[in-house]
Amino acid sequence: MTDLTGGNPLLPNIATIASIRRETGDVKTFQVVFDDPLAVQSFAHKPGQVALISVFGEGEATISITSSPTVKGFLEFSIKKVGRLTSVLHEIEAGAKVAVRGPYGNGFPLDEMKGKNLLFVGGGIGLAPLRSLIDYVLAEENRSDYGNVEILYGARSMADICFKEDLFNKWTACKDTRVYTTIDREEPEWSGHVGFVPAYLEEIKPVSNNKVAITCGPPVMIKFILMSLQRLGFTEERIITTLEMKMKCGIGKCGRCNIGSKYVCLDGPVFTLKQLKELPPEF
Amino acid sequence: MQYKVLEKDKISGFLDYLASKHNLMAPVSEDESFSQFKRVYQASEINLNYTNTVIPPKNYFFPPAENLFSFSAENGGIEIKESRQAENMVIFGLRPCDINGMSMLDPVFNGNFPDSYYGPKRERTILIGLSCQEVMPTCFCKSFGTDPTDGSGADLMLTGLENCFLVEILTDKGAGLLENAGGFFSDESVDKAISEKKLLRDKLAGAFLREPDLSGVKEILDKNFEHPYWEELAAKCIGCGICTFVCPTCHCFNMIDTSRPDATGSRYRCHDSCMFPGFTKMAGGHNPRPTRVERVRNRFMHKLKYHLDRYNLDGCSGCGRCIAKCPVNIDISQIITHIREVVKDD
Amino acid sequence: MNNITLELRKQARKLLEDQVVQLVIGYGRGSDPFRVTPVFVRHPDFVDSLIWNPFCINNLAKYLIEYRYLPGKIAVVIKGCDSRAVNRLIQDNQIERDKIVLLGVPCTGILEAEKVAKTTGYQLELERCSEQEEKFTLHTSSGDFSFAAKDSLITKCYSCYNHNPVVFDIMLGPAAKENPAAVKYSEVESLEKLNVKEKSEYWDMYFSRCLRCYACRNVCTACTCQECIFNQAKPAWVDRINNLSNNTSFHLIRAFHVAGRCVDCGECDRVCPVNIPLRHLNQKILKDLQELYDAPIPGADLETGPALGCFVTEDPEEFM
Repeated sequence: MTDLTGGNPLLPNIATIASIRRETGDVKTFQVVFDDPLAVQSFAHKPGQVALISVFGEGEATISITSSPTVKGFLEFSIKKVGRLTSVLHEIEAGAKVAVRGPYGNGFPLDEMKGKNLLFVGGGIGLAPLRSLIDYVLAEENRSDYGNVEILYGARSMADICFKEDLFNKWTACKDTRVYTTIDREEPEWSGHVGFVPAYLEEIKPVSNNKVAITCGPPVMIKFILMSLQRLGFTEERIITTLEMKMKCGIGKCGRCNIGSKYVCLDGPVFTLKQLKELPPEF
Repeated sequence: MQYKVLEKDKISGFLDYLASKHNLMAPVSEDESFSQFKRVYQASEINLNYTNTVIPPKNYFFPPAENLFSFSAENGGIEIKESRQAENMVIFGLRPCDINGMSMLDPVFNGNFPDSYYGPKRERTILIGLSCQEVMPTCFCKSFGTDPTDGSGADLMLTGLENCFLVEILTDKGAGLLENAGGFFSDESVDKAISEKKLLRDKLAGAFLREPDLSGVKEILDKNFEHPYWEELAAKCIGCGICTFVCPTCHCFNMIDTSRPDATGSRYRCHDSCMFPGFTKMAGGHNPRPTRVERVRNRFMHKLKYHLDRYNLDGCSGCGRCIAKCPVNIDISQIITHIREVVKDD
Repeated sequence: MNNITLELRKQARKLLEDQVVQLVIGYGRGSDPFRVTPVFVRHPDFVDSLIWNPFCINNLAKYLIEYRYLPGKIAVVIKGCDSRAVNRLIQDNQIERDKIVLLGVPCTGILEAEKVAKTTGYQLELERCSEQEEKFTLHTSSGDFSFAAKDSLITKCYSCYNHNPVVFDIMLGPAAKENPAAVKYSEVESLEKLNVKEKSEYWDMYFSRCLRCYACRNVCTACTCQECIFNQAKPAWVDRINNLSNNTSFHLIRAFHVAGRCVDCGECDRVCPVNIPLRHLNQKILKDLQELYDAPIPGADLETGPALGCFVTEDPEEFM
């Protein structure tokens, strides 16, 4: 990354909210553009990495980068209104000034996934970090590096489905790509699958051969997804998830996102199930 | 290593000289049992016989509240003004445990993403150590491979002897400081002073009340994350942050914005404590360390295992501050001993 | 072993054996001869970890708040000063009276460990303590050491209101002599004599040292809020930035918050790592309440509510 902050990793780059897209009742996707064109070029993130978004006077929050690095000119962050800062973000309008620093974290192991088929399993807002990788893999310049793509996504209700355009139009139209969606309970206007994600996953029974599963969602769902994936024959090395922890600095100093000796901001947020099992259960 | 001797009657002159030429920090006793490092302007303010200050000297590099930058709304944009300050500084009178503590903190703030606040201050500071004259009942620096006269990590090390101070010149920075103060020092009876220092070191080495044996402790912790012993400790812990705020190696911080109605404000970095429930509590309410058991375990794991795993350095310098100040007598030196025993008993 | 320790173990054993209580909270040996540490005994086999000696300083009533949801009864060792906190907790519905068994200690004062150690050093084992004629004798592995009560106690014990618990179930020894004539507020009185500037300088010096470790709050039996306002993120009434103005706000808000409920156990003062004389703040309020409303020390009995927390129709203030 070009040094725009005098080498000070705690100084964010000023950016503008270019547009805001409402995904669900409590999720909005913010398209953010750096004010300094140099920052735009130099913010070279990997899918799966995170950034810290500042609202001046309110503070910072760690948010996974939702957009793929193959999409240039802006960054996207899909943010659920859960706490103090995210509530403030939900109040602001396009044109507002924010600031961004990052990218932080390890990101998904892009090279190790090359040549493999990919199974994405996401729940709720958990699709946000996966979307960066999905768009990266499906981008023309990378598509031939990866095999088939299956995307299984579940939300509580139709109203809770994020990234509808991607799920129902964009990704479905991609070559060698299948999208499965499910909602927890029946709804009159829903003609698709009904039921929880782990159950649907076991119903679909994706073959695990030469395949990597990447999953993200609410902790309780993840717990069951991980069990289902293992039952389907995915080895611990081939199951990848991304964690969420409270972070303040993002760079391994503030001391709160540790799981044992590992810092999620530096050593994560992406972990294979094998790595997770070697960590103490404090996440 | 180069040695010099400073006659006892010249120490005041030397310190006055330092205070006149440098931004000098030194231990000052404010009341009977409270001393801290403070900016001093003359030698008479300094307490040369102090025992560990309550507040560790790390605060000079990693202050309890530090303004990182200020911001203001300007013509529809936002202006950020960095508030980095790194003045030249001399810290005089550091005890070996505190010098060691700084060495333990360095890789946290340096390393990847070097910190722009800590590093420059650290670089522009000259550390002058001062050997201990007594071992406090809570001291156990010896367990961490240092001793009360060990200057490793300092630029200069002074040891008070019968008639003089032995001065060890440990770095170029230290040598540079002395260059202009040559008049205070001599090369006479250096050998005698060196052997006197050895005697002092041996005397102090035998004066420890606490000598917990660290061997194998990390290996035990590697294998014993879950253990009822943590519950026993957590039962009495009142969840205050004394241990972390007085610790010379604790580095957890929070970042907080302040703002004023005129759309200006600042971002601060403040000391935080892993003993506080909100430390890891996420916006949605999930808390990976929800009770005192996890929090207490995390602190001692951090000191005795995590820091070693990450930096190959101990995470405790044995200064004994947390032992002296814990309201319920949770005692890390005792924990080290207990860890070996409770596992043996299992 | 002193008689109180023996009686304590005997009673604790009985309570646990008879399954009257599930937990006994008391003092145990600390990691130094003159330190004690809270111990939590759940089985009669472990009652020998309980001790009583003149270093048992902690107010263990605080743990009743932590353990109030434990099924079954809890026994706790209580000194006179701590017992007022128990009454307060009962008055505030923080604990139920019939959920606790109070093991009352007649207390003649707590010795100042550092002062004692200056004479004895630390390289010894404290075997037992005996007491007679205003004199404490420590029987140690290095011999006996005697300390006159008049110059070896911690400050708060010289102005003790209750040498014996005001509420208890089992007394562990014969009642100690009360000293109603003890001068209660001499330090506050001398502070009152300072002019505004001097007072400000006095407190500024101390508050600027504050680490905001919140030990004073966490140890306080009057601090029972589910969420303390100093922990709240929104609104952040007093933010975490450590400076004189925030630190002053913290201490003054806290002092007013516990006004009329503080039982003057002195724990905040004891635990403060930077020696802020917090007790003076609380005592000033206690003194004013006594002068203005003739209020007894909070927790002195179960019937009298906190002066600032109860309504009486005779109140001159109509808006109340």
